[in-house]
Order: sequence, then structure tokens, then C-alpha cells
Amino acid sequence: MGLSGELALTLLTGVLVLIVFALATRFDDWRTYTPLAGGGALGGETGYGHDEKPGGIVRWLTTVDHKDIGILYGVYAIVAFAWGGLAVMLMRFELATPAMDVLASVGGRAFYNQLLTSHGITMLFLFGTPILAAFSNYFIPLLIGADDMAFPRINAIAFWLLPPGAILIWAGFFLAPFFDGIAASMTSWTMYPPQAVAQTAAGQDAMSYEYAGRVIASSEIDTAALNAGTDLMLLGLHLTGVSATMGAINFIATIFTERGSDVGWDKLDIFSWTILTQSALILFSFPLLGSAIVMLLLDRNFATGFFAVEGGGTILYQHLFWFFGHPEVYILVLPPMGIISYVLPRFSGRKLFGFKFVVYSTLAIGVLSFGVWAHHMFASGIDPRLRAGFMAVSLAIAIPSAVKTFNWITTMWNGNIRLTTPMLFCIGFIANFIIGGVTGVFLAAVPVDLILHDTYYVVGHFHYVIMGAIAFAVFAGVYYWFPIVSGRMYQRTLGKAHFWTTMVGTNLTFFAMILLGYGGMPRRYATYNGVTAEGIIGYFTNLHVIATVGAFILLVGQIIWLVNMVQSWLEGPVVGPDPWNLKEDGLPSREFDWHADRIETTLADGGEPAEDEPMTDGGEPVDADDDAAGDE
Amino acid sequence: MSATEDAGDHGHGGHLPAVEDFPRGFGEASWWPFVTAIGGSGIYVGAALFLLAARGGFGIGMGTAAAVSIGSIGLFVFGILGWLYHGFVASFWQRHKSEQSESKLVWGMYAFLGSEIATFSAGFIYFFFIQAGGLGEIPDVFGSLVIFNTLLLIASSFVLHFSEVALRNGNRKRFVTLLGATLLMGIIFIGGQVYEYYEFLAVKNFTPAAIAGGEVIYSNPFASAFYALTGLHGLHVTLGAVLLGIVFVRGLRGQYSAERHVSVKTAALYWHFVDVVWIFLVAAIYIGATAL
Repeated sequence: MGLSGELALTLLTGVLVLIVFALATRFDDWRTYTPLAGGGALGGETGYGHDEKPGGIVRWLTTVDHKDIGILYGVYAIVAFAWGGLAVMLMRFELATPAMDVLASVGGRAFYNQLLTSHGITMLFLFGTPILAAFSNYFIPLLIGADDMAFPRINAIAFWLLPPGAILIWAGFFLAPFFDGIAASMTSWTMYPPQAVAQTAAGQDAMSYEYAGRVIASSEIDTAALNAGTDLMLLGLHLTGVSATMGAINFIATIFTERGSDVGWDKLDIFSWTILTQSALILFSFPLLGSAIVMLLLDRNFATGFFAVEGGGTILYQHLFWFFGHPEVYILVLPPMGIISYVLPRFSGRKLFGFKFVVYSTLAIGVLSFGVWAHHMFASGIDPRLRAGFMAVSLAIAIPSAVKTFNWITTMWNGNIRLTTPMLFCIGFIANFIIGGVTGVFLAAVPVDLILHDTYYVVGHFHYVIMGAIAFAVFAGVYYWFPIVSGRMYQRTLGKAHFWTTMVGTNLTFFAMILLGYGGMPRRYATYNGVTAEGIIGYFTNLHVIATVGAFILLVGQIIWLVNMVQSWLEGPVVGPDPWNLKEDGLPSREFDWHADRIETTLADGGEPAEDEPMTDGGEPVDADDDAAGDE
Repeated sequence: MSATEDAGDHGHGGHLPAVEDFPRGFGEASWWPFVTAIGGSGIYVGAALFLLAARGGFGIGMGTAAAVSIGSIGLFVFGILGWLYHGFVASFWQRHKSEQSESKLVWGMYAFLGSEIATFSAGFIYFFFIQAGGLGEIPDVFGSLVIFNTLLLIASSFVLHFSEVALRNGNRKRFVTLLGATLLMGIIFIGGQVYEYYEFLAVKNFTPAAIAGGEVIYSNPFASAFYALTGLHGLHVTLGAVLLGIVFVRGLRGQYSAERHVSVKTAALYWHFVDVVWIFLVAAIYIGATAL
């Protein structure tokens, strides 16, 4: 592992950050806004903020306000998103050609495996879960009429466990340039033993040794040679798991006991329902992963045999991991479905079609999600009778997902559709989720899975869900609630550009992967120049190039988004009380009522210089947003 | 509209979460979460340093790892105590009793116990997994000490229950006495467990693995299950004893009344949960492994 390679990567990251920064600053001198001084304009609540919070950086370190903590979660998740995204860009550039070239000087295949691991872990644990916590922290108390979360201090603790968790998870990358015995983990995000128990910093197997030119397997582990980066990653993962569990406990207590007197269970909004279900899933799955991680750590460092052949073996690990891992999929997808169910009706001019059934399907998914885990293990040689049972439940879980999809489509049917940026992302969500979902139904069938297992088909399938659906819903939420959080409106043109680049990029990248999978391209490979079959190498190369181009388009789109967010937050037009004209359609919502009240209270208190004419400035740009749907 | 009241209340500080806190004077600021989180994370960093020190070659000694760990544990405990003090203890009698704030604490405890089920279940699943494949030769773990400890823990749950009943009936003296008795029984239980560990590890040489001359021998997969589950349970009993200890001290200082006893209730819930887990554990590990 070359020191120069690590430095080159750091340099590349730095350059990208600088480019974004330069682009953002070109628009204006943003220092005039001094976001962290004097009570903080960043939260957009200077009107009364300084009464209850200290100023400056101390405000952010000490805050127990759910809205501030939501913003902290959001910023944290975006940093993680950038890390995971840049990691995968390097991988995509490597895969554009069959041979090892782009990463050759940085550590080759071992480095590719490190990027692969970091990308998966970062996107799932450090981006996915926290970005959803950002939304739920900010909006659940507003939506259910609570003053704050049930446990505001636990809320803050849960957030502050995350940055150290990320540092531990990434620590292998930071320490590798300085020490020989450590590298970033190369276990992939699933961390299967025996690999995860016995991998050295060079990516070799600490359980085998070479003798007379032959590799001999052994039951001994050379513990001193094990990659300490994996240990640090496991510790960091455990820490983020503790954080997620604390958050889940907090949301359950909040939604159960802090609802306003006029918010009965029958009045609970769809987003809160999905967060409640998600929290229940977290509650029973994350601690189990935590225990499995501790067992792995003990196996690695204290010579216990939990996942050794003599003990439970690797199949036990897979059972434990996927008993967490599959609910984790729904932990990540249910709140985005809630955001879609919440936002889509506002721009369709209709109430959500079949609200009750959307709630029931959420609960059904929550229950069924604990009964499908072994479909990740169809190819592991488990009992065929077991496989048949899990196949049935896995196929069954498609039904509640389809119920939701049809409800969204029927909500839009004959509706007064306004193609605003959040609405575009909602529709993009549905389109991508259908592809991601249908490819998943095929994988749930044992015979099909045995052919497509561990190919790019699987990668394409779950990225259609994770990027095509979950990230799309996140963006829909970001754009929809941006006026509340920042008090300003984003740039609509950039928003649309972001949507189209993301939509095109997603489909280019991940549809190519589905075709790659049909061709038999295995996942997790850094190179494919070993393929000798006539014609197939060209097929692989072409599709990989298409996927890489798509990924690059995605990168451009996300930079546009970041610029838009930063610039609009600092100097976008200040919005009025009802930026989306929800009242007109008879679809008011509690969080925008709260937003309107806040503007009123601020004005009554004497206002603030930055918001000279919030009332007149507000409706305008949003009305203009309707033009996009001129043909309605 | 309640949203209006919500926004209005912030102006008057009626429902601010951290009125009584450090730094004082703000309603929505507290240093305790940050301090606690840094302390808690520091424990993980300490563990990481310990592993790095054990590997060698990182220029980190066991001393550094120990110092970071101990410092972090101190910071963590300091943060928790500060939070407890400002959140619950300092203005105990001034705060309005509200059904809502009580039920949220109880729900929070129920949710936490749900997550604990998941934590324990991984260990139980490991045990049942290896049991299905045959445990092989295992030492006789079931004995008079286990029976004594089990009866003691079950009895402590009853004593704790009667302590709660006494508080609800307004009999403070009986409440504090019985609570103290529960605490004592818990401590004796932990002592019994420590003695059992000593007996098994040092005398009977019943270990999950042995490292002889650099070679690792997986002597007994059952031992891994045994120590993982009893160890995890022991940690939980210890935490339960700490919780009861806090409640006990607060009780001695005159807090709690027939109407205000939510933290007695949540600590008791936790204690009963740990008790139930122990019964499962005895049935599965101690009796199940040897008798079946």
C-alpha cells in the first residue's frame, strides 16, 4: 500500500471539495451571512433563537433542540454521502477498463476492496440511517404537535456518538499511510467470517501459510498479522448501532406519548407511521448486529470460536447478520416511502389514496421483514425446505410494497399535478422503485437466485432501490422542506437539473448493471481481464463504461445539488408562510402551519433585518414553480 | 391550534427541555449530552487502542490504552450523572407531575428492554445453534451455587415489588428498607457469579479457548456460549444494581412519594427483566446443556 497512493486520494478529495467551495463562493461573498455567529442564522430562527441557545459553535455542541439536531444529522449524512460517493467513483473509473490501471499505483485490488467495503458501510450506516434521522428529528415533533422529542438529551447523545463512529470506521484509511500493520477493512459490508476473522492488512489470509510454494490452510490464526483496520471498523459500527438504537427508543417514546391532544392514532400522519415502524425494526435488529459484531471481535482478538467451524460456523454468522440485514433494508426504505406518501399528494392536489392501506402495508412490511432474511443465503447450501419457506415469505413481501406503489399512482391519477422538483423526485422514486422491486421479486425465487447470485444483477437491483428510490425520496424531502429549514427557496432551475442528471445517471448506471448480471459478471471484482470467452469481454467492457458514464453524471448532478443547497441557504429568496400554496388545494400540513406561525411570531417580536418583506417575497417564486406544469 | 401554542411556548420557556441545566440560563442547551457522548465514544477508542497495543507496531502501549479507557469511563459517568442531576434530580419537587412525562419514561424503558431482547437473543441463538449440532463433552455447570443464586434473584424481584407497593402506600421507611435489601441481594448475586467464574476459570480450567505456544485451540464452543451469556447477564445485573443504587440514594435523600415514583418503576422494570432473562439462561445453559 503506497503512501503516495493514499496521499493522491487525499489530494483528489481535497481538490473536489475546493471546486465545490469555489463554485459556491463565486455567487457572492457569503461571509456576510456569518452562519455560526450570533445565535446562528443557519437554523433560520434568529427571531427567538438567542434566548434559549448560546451563540456560536457552542450552540451546536450543546443543543438539545430537535430541529438543530436534525440539521446536524443532515450535515453529517451529507459528508458521509460525499465520502461514499467519491469511493465509488474511484471504483467505477477502475472498472471502465478490464485491467487494473487507475488504482494500480494506489494499492490495486486490495485498495479496490477497501473502497468497496467503505462505500457499502458508509452509505448504509453513515448516510442512510442518519439522513432519515435528520428528517425525523426535525419534523416528527412538528408533525405530531410535540414540544420536542421525548428525551431531548438522549437525542443529542445519539447524534454525538456518530462522528466518532465514522472516524473509527474510516480509521484504516487514515492510519494506513503511517503504519504497515493496518489498512482499511477489506471484508465488504457483510463482514462474513472466516474472511472477516482472518484477514491481514495486505488482504491475505492469516489462517493459512505458505510451505514449499503451496498455500496450506490452518486452524491457527496469526493474530498479530490481522488487519487492525477491521477491528476499528467493527468498533465504530457498534458505536453507530448504539446511536441508532437510542434514536429508535426516542422515536417510539415520542410518537407514543408526546402526540398533541388533537393528534390521535387516527390522525397520525403517514411519515410518522413509517418512522414508528422503522424504529421498531431498528429496536430488534441493530442490537442483534451489535452482539454479532462483538462476537466477531472476540473471535478475532480473544480466540473464541463463535463463528469458527468448531463453533457456530459461518452459516450462523450469516443468519445473525441477515436477521439484522434484511430488516435494515426496510429500515432504510420505509421512511422514504413515508416521505413519498407525504409529499406526493401535496403536488397532486389530492389526498393520499387509500391512506389506511398505506399504513397497513407499512406495518405488514415491518412484520414480514423479519421473516425473509435467509433469501440472502439461498446459495449457501442451507436446507432446501428452509429455502422454500423463505422464498414464499420473500415473494409475499412484494404485495404490501405493490399496494403502496398502486396507491401512489392512483393518488396522481386525475390529480392536479404540479411538477415541482420534489414532485419530480417523487415520480422518479416510483419509476425506479418499480424496477428495483420487480428485479427483487425475481431474486426472491430460489431457482433464479441461484443463477444470478453474486452477479451485478444483485448490485443493480439493490442500487435501484437504494439510489433510485431511497436517495430520490431523500431529495424529494430535502427540496420540499428546504423552505422550512432554511427559511428560503432553492433555485428551481438547478433543482430540475439535479433531478434530470440524477434520473438519467441512475438508470444508465444501474440498468447497465442488471445487464452485466445477466451476462454473468460477478460482483466485487476489481478487474475482469481474466474473462476469456469470445465476445463476452467486449460486452462487459461496454456495459461497465456505460455504468461509469452514468456514475459520472450522478456525480455532476450531486455537485449541482450541493451548490444549490449552499447558495440558496445563504442567499435564496426568503419564503412566505405557505411556499407551496398548500392551502389553496386544501392540503394544509402541520409543519407548514408551524412555519407560518414562526414567521408571524418573528414579526411580532420585532423581526430581523434579513427578512424585510417575508410576506410579499414568499408566494411569488413558488407560484412560478407551477409553470412547469403548465399543461395541467 | 396547538402549533401556535407550541411556538408561543418557546417564547415563555414553558416547555423548554433543558431549563435547569449546564450552561444555565438557556432552555435548549446542555453540555451533558456532548460530554456523555465523548466519554462513551472514548470507551470505544480506548478499546481500539487496546487492540492496537496488543497487535504491536503502532507505538501505542497498554498504558495509553488504559489511560484513555479509564479517562473516558470517568467522563462518561460524569456526563451521565450531570444529566441525571439536571434532568431529574435537581428540581424533583418543583417540576409538575405530569402523566405524559411519566408514560414517556416508562415507554422508553419498554423500548429499551425490547432492544435488550435482541442483544441477548444473538447469544441464545449461538447456543441453540451449537446445541443442535451436539455440545460434546461439557463440564457440570449446574450446582448448588446456581440454585442459590437463582432463588436469590427471584426473591429480590419480589422484595423489590413489595418495596414499590410500600412506596405507593406511603410507607417510605419500608420502601427504602426493602429497596436496600434488593440492592444487597443483587450484590450478593454478582459476588456469587464472580466466585463461579473464579471456580470455572482458575480451578476447573473451563475456558473458551486456550492459546498454547502461539497456537489457538478451540477447546469448547459451549464455553463461548456460557461466558458470553452469563457475562452479558452479569453486566446487566451490575447495571441494574447501579440503577437501583441511584434510586436508593435518591430515596434516602427524601425523594419519591406515593404519587411520584416513575424512576422507581423504570428501574424495577429493568430489574425484573434481568431476572426473567436469568431464568431463561438457567433453563437453557445450566440445565438445558447438562440435562438434555
